[in-house]
Amino acid sequence: MSEKKGLFGVWLAVLAIGIVVGLITTVKLFSQGHSLFNANDVLLWTLPLGAYIYLALASSGLTLLAAMPLVFGVQKYEPFAKRLVFLAIATLCGAFVSIGLELGSIFHMIYIMLSPNLSSPIWWMGAIYSVELVVLIVKFFLMHKGDWHSGFGKFLALASFVLALAAPLMIGSVFGITESRVTYFGPVMSIYCLLMAFLSGTALFILYSMVVNRVMSNGVPVELYDDFALIFTYTAGVVTVFTLLKYAIESATVVPEFLVYRQFAHAFGTMGGVHTEVLLGLFLPFVLLLIPSVRKSIGGKILTSALILVGTLFMHMEILLAGQSHPVGPKAEQFAPFISYFPSIWEILVFVFALTIMLLLYTLGERYLKLTGAPQ
Amino acid sequence: MPRYAMVIDLQRCVGCGACSIACRNENNVPEGIYWSNKITETVGTFPNVRYHYIPTLCNHCEYAPCVRGCPTKAMHKLDNGITMHDPKKCIGCKYCEFNCPYGVIYFNWETPHKFWRDKKAEIQGGTASPQEVVKNVGAKSIPYYNPEREGTYAGIRPKGVVEKCTFCDHRVQKDLLPRCVEACPADARIFGDISDPKSEVSQLLGKFRPFRLREQLGTNPHIFYIRDFNPAAYQPTKGGV
Repeated sequence: MSEKKGLFGVWLAVLAIGIVVGLITTVKLFSQGHSLFNANDVLLWTLPLGAYIYLALASSGLTLLAAMPLVFGVQKYEPFAKRLVFLAIATLCGAFVSIGLELGSIFHMIYIMLSPNLSSPIWWMGAIYSVELVVLIVKFFLMHKGDWHSGFGKFLALASFVLALAAPLMIGSVFGITESRVTYFGPVMSIYCLLMAFLSGTALFILYSMVVNRVMSNGVPVELYDDFALIFTYTAGVVTVFTLLKYAIESATVVPEFLVYRQFAHAFGTMGGVHTEVLLGLFLPFVLLLIPSVRKSIGGKILTSALILVGTLFMHMEILLAGQSHPVGPKAEQFAPFISYFPSIWEILVFVFALTIMLLLYTLGERYLKLTGAPQ
Repeated sequence: MPRYAMVIDLQRCVGCGACSIACRNENNVPEGIYWSNKITETVGTFPNVRYHYIPTLCNHCEYAPCVRGCPTKAMHKLDNGITMHDPKKCIGCKYCEFNCPYGVIYFNWETPHKFWRDKKAEIQGGTASPQEVVKNVGAKSIPYYNPEREGTYAGIRPKGVVEKCTFCDHRVQKDLLPRCVEACPADARIFGDISDPKSEVSQLLGKFRPFRLREQLGTNPHIFYIRDFNPAAYQPTKGGV
């Protein structure tokens, strides 16, 4: 018991260091500017935005999973519902930290409300995620008070489900409607983001649950997670098919942008002609999940979900970077034909800060909010 | 209400860059940022090569992707067709820059004109520090500061927001030409109201076959290019035989 207490103390100390470092990063960024990032007028969006997309999509995936018991009435998943909603809230808070530090003039954010542009996917993305956060918090509060099935509670569950469906589509459209950057695949990007949201959300939930089960027994039978592992397998399968389809189109097309894209779109290397992050972070875990003994074992669940969680981050980064690695128009006068990238320490610290906020909330929630509750 | 457009005559343009320099002075444009810029292309394979030069600036598109995508309407259209930016509303998301098919929007990654804030003299007791130079000439931020720019836009845009060409709207308001047009020694830039059939812009567009950058995207850019400069000649033959 005392060993566990000691470990918890160390964990809290690590989180405290993360918070302090994050606050220093925030002050530094807004006093010195975003030149601290290894970004420039060609490579505009880098790790902080990639981290936002990654965490925001994972949050949407968690909300979609929560809809199974809360919207579609699958009662056997009710013991997971409260934790799923809480994880979605905490993960979204991490995403907001990352996007907040990515923005250049955070103090002008008031104009998002005062001067909204309804034709902007960025506006819709921000609005949907903001409303979703509020809806999830209220829903969680009701569940915490024991109100699971009131009309208002059901409305909030349905609203959060619809918002969690719309938000990834909107993230995809931020890239997809950019007519000058065809390598983002247009409207297809929205569907890809939705699938990735469900995949990373499921991976995060499985990994988190396995770790929490190891640290503290929470009374939920481990076998119940096999259902989630099966859903995880199906989702990984769908994303695998979708990714193969994207590869097929990318390699067959002769659109000039794609010809250039093909040459450079492997920031993390390739193995046998396949992107490393896709091979190790998607194809490999999918194949492993197809083996029932791996899928049902705790070790197998931890390994596959960890691989996919890391893989999806790198996949998002790969897509984000490859689409903006070449200067547009006259910027070719100023910049090299191809921009290489490795995150600066400050970009890494933004990601660390976002993860710290998320993990701190996980820790506090797990300790004080009884996340495995189910309706009477 | 006029609808402003610019015609750039590539036969007259000598590629001197006076437009870019004049633009920087007029609009207090910081280092690393180009409101007025150029695309240089080398075509052919050595030794049969040729150099092409296309001056660029904001295209003031009718269907501007930057305006459509801006979440706060910081990037917006004026009634006269100018694509304008409001740094007060800009949240620095850089989506306009990401969305612009022409690469003419820039972000202020750090405090602009940082050099002129330096308090250290190059030679102690010998030269003035950059900050002293600014103070001694009674300017704001930079010694060559143009206060006229403040008429319609921030004189110097702060860090954390984007900026781009405004067709010198502060001058246009006073019936003056954009500074790049005025500064062009070859009179290669013609500015005017495209909705007026009598304007020189309209007449030139009827006289020559213009092209615009990335027209296929459907943004309807309002910078038109006419003619081309090529002094090369070649002997007439029957099919090269």
